[in-house]
Amino acid sequence: MPRHSLSFVTSLAVVISGVTALQSGSPDPQRDHPRPAPAWKNRSWLNADHPLTLEELRGRVVFLNFWVFTCYNCTNTVPSLVEFDRRYRDRGLTLIGIHTPEFPPYAGEHDRGNVERALREHGIEYPNAQDNDRKTWDLYGIRFWPSFVLIDRKGNIRYEGYGEFHVGDASYGLWSRRIEELLRE
Amino acid sequence: MGLALVLACSAAGDRTVPALQISHTADGDGTRLALVASHGIRINARLKPALELADGTVLRFDSPRLTADSAYFAEPPSTIVRMPWKDVHGTLRASICGGDAACRPLVLEL
Repeated sequence: MPRHSLSFVTSLAVVISGVTALQSGSPDPQRDHPRPAPAWKNRSWLNADHPLTLEELRGRVVFLNFWVFTCYNCTNTVPSLVEFDRRYRDRGLTLIGIHTPEFPPYAGEHDRGNVERALREHGIEYPNAQDNDRKTWDLYGIRFWPSFVLIDRKGNIRYEGYGEFHVGDASYGLWSRRIEELLRE
Repeated sequence: MGLALVLACSAAGDRTVPALQISHTADGDGTRLALVASHGIRINARLKPALELADGTVLRFDSPRLTADSAYFAEPPSTIVRMPWKDVHGTLRASICGGDAACRPLVLEL
């Protein structure tokens, strides 16, 4: 028996069980029931002239994207999000990136300048919050990069999902329909 | 070379599948460590795996061979630690991605 292996099998089983269970862009069926979105309290924002609050966005549909610039699946999804922002912002959608690092600060993901560069590189113009302490990540019970939370005009979580998607694919279409459904309400 | 450590497993029926293993090979006075991902698991190369040793040193795993998109390692990333395997203690971090096109962190105390 290798050193340590017994405890590792137990502690990481959850991580890996998720690998086989997930589908790209799919919602968690247990979370499709509307429930109030928790209020984030991030203080460091980019592409915003003040820290946005959930309360001030009441009346708009809010699409949260939990991401980090070191995640390829996340940056591959950005073109879809930029397109959503372009298509739906004027109709009442607010897209918000919640930038949540995976590693400790030595990896550079906490650095505001690095996040700014990533926003420029990927043409992201929608607001982004730095979630360096992972409080918003934990508040929403997120487990994977990238993840998505769609909040209706009344501040209720209506849809959640995770995994990369691309402009024009099935998951993109699914999220488009969900956004349009909530914009119509 | 030893394939010493089962880092994570998933149960597929009666079969236990290791998701990531660490191999160790004597390298001069030290030890070369390599992370070996199982089928269907990819190791994020944009966030290189790290071993945080007890003295605060951070060692990064790396490999010159990446996938065509430069996003993942195409061969097990490795690092050299200047101590024998039996003395290696610290925190190992890796970002692993599956076929679902999502990533999750792997954190392990050695």
